[in-house]
Amino acid sequence: MTSSSNYSLNELMVVAAARELRNGDLIFVGVGTAGRAFTMACGIPIAAARLAQETHAPDLAIYWNNLLSPDLQQIPERLTQHYLTTWPTAAQLHNCSDKNDMLSKGRFDVSFDSAPQIDRYGNLNITAIGDYRHPKRRLIGALAQTDHFAYVRRPLILTDLKKRTFVEKVDFITSVGYLDGGNSRAEAGLRPGGPSRVITDKAIFGFHDESREMELLTVHESSSIEEVVSEMGFLPRISDNVSVTVAPTEHEIRLIRDVIDPRKILLVS
Amino acid sequence: MKSKLVSLEDAASLIPSGSSLTIGGSIIRRSPVALIRELLHQKKSGFTVLAYPAGFTTDLLAGAGAVDRVEAVYEGLFQFGFSYNFRRGVEEGRIDIRDFSEVAMASRFRAAAAGLPFAVTDALLGTGMAEHNPEQVREIADPFSGRKLHALPAAESDFTLLHGYTADEYGNVQFPVARDADDLDPVMAKAANRLIVTVEKIVPHSEILKTPNLTYIPHTWVEAIVEVPFGAHPLSCDGYYDEDELHMEDYQRRMKEGDFASYADLYIAKPQNHAEYLAAALTPERLLQLSVR
Repeated sequence: MTSSSNYSLNELMVVAAARELRNGDLIFVGVGTAGRAFTMACGIPIAAARLAQETHAPDLAIYWNNLLSPDLQQIPERLTQHYLTTWPTAAQLHNCSDKNDMLSKGRFDVSFDSAPQIDRYGNLNITAIGDYRHPKRRLIGALAQTDHFAYVRRPLILTDLKKRTFVEKVDFITSVGYLDGGNSRAEAGLRPGGPSRVITDKAIFGFHDESREMELLTVHESSSIEEVVSEMGFLPRISDNVSVTVAPTEHEIRLIRDVIDPRKILLVS
Repeated sequence: MKSKLVSLEDAASLIPSGSSLTIGGSIIRRSPVALIRELLHQKKSGFTVLAYPAGFTTDLLAGAGAVDRVEAVYEGLFQFGFSYNFRRGVEEGRIDIRDFSEVAMASRFRAAAAGLPFAVTDALLGTGMAEHNPEQVREIADPFSGRKLHALPAAESDFTLLHGYTADEYGNVQFPVARDADDLDPVMAKAANRLIVTVEKIVPHSEILKTPNLTYIPHTWVEAIVEVPFGAHPLSCDGYYDEDELHMEDYQRRMKEGDFASYADLYIAKPQNHAEYLAAALTPERLLQLSVR
């Protein structure tokens, strides 16, 4: 396949995420508000899931906004209440107990998560910055991000690479990644799992098989190992064979622009 | 069946200061906002709030200094941003926050619904929520396998406050056919000790009889039913009206500045009833814009 020479970072992130998805997967997409937060929480995940459907994973299914398999040809232009209520979908689950049971029953394969703090072992914090009881900044709580990391088989972390986000140790563990590394996740009683990849605007990371430390796997063509490391509050492991992130193909870019997001609702900022 | 239809003022009078309240809806949708405003109009305070995602109603209570403790999965106002009053309350040590994940909090409401003392979950293993809340997150062993788990107390509260769509005077509350189900209202109703439901419209009992499968809250669970059209405003009520973005943006501008007082004066203190609130907050033209019926 011909690789495209003209693509945006968002499109590269979509393609990188799509390549992590498998046929038959059930994907949990969260809710995002507006601007960059929407692109990260909803735009890139939905575009990636659809790209996977259009290429190698036709049987992949999506849960979004308490809707199971909504019609993604008809994504509403605005997400006010009435658009959500009337969006054509295969199933509107009866109440949130259904979704929670689906999570703890282990029905979800992949989730997309981001956070203001992520640490070396892939633990996330969306609850509080500073001391929990007297926080410097109270954040939003926990939502289902705790449950994603407890129950979803291959959570993907999707976020921009920033020094204040990638910290040595999170101030509060909202979502348990690999806890303190090694076998500590299993020893704490959690089910097998933990984040599988960290996809950022500059590089892609995995987690080392034994130490469970975040490990640099590929660097985007527009960046460098030096730049990546300078944007992090800790030094990640660096894989022996760090490569350049595989560029999107012309076919993938055409699908994203012409089929998946022609109205530019998903990849907005 | 006994009529349970009461006024908004009388419904709020049932609730003493210091009560624990389960508040339904979600963030910026279908919460019993008019009832919460009436509680504040009556100068009630000292509440504990239990919610799934908390949102606007909790922020109103926090703005008035009327909430001491919150147990929930989220506090914020979705596309309108942070829950400034709540956030200040936690940062300044005035609100005791107990965080739970969605799976964990839902399991607590379901334990309460089943009349059980606690829920069992493995959702919070290894988290800060377990570490910082030993009072409510207790380690137990699966008696069959020995596996490590947590027990969480059932989400019991004194009152459960919900906003719904239609009901008859007896308190049979019905869904519309198309609704947004991203909440825990049916579970919260079942878990209630004293349940007060506000609805958009009271309909004749004969209407309820036609579609009994749409009754998600039966009259036997309900203590008081109240007709409050636009009772979730400025939030949305699916099938009835959208969220009032202009009102919410104005609210957030004031709250960001720490100015709850001017908002409370306009919309809580001055209006003597719900009709006066609607007149203060909405023009007829705006009402039609928000309506989706």
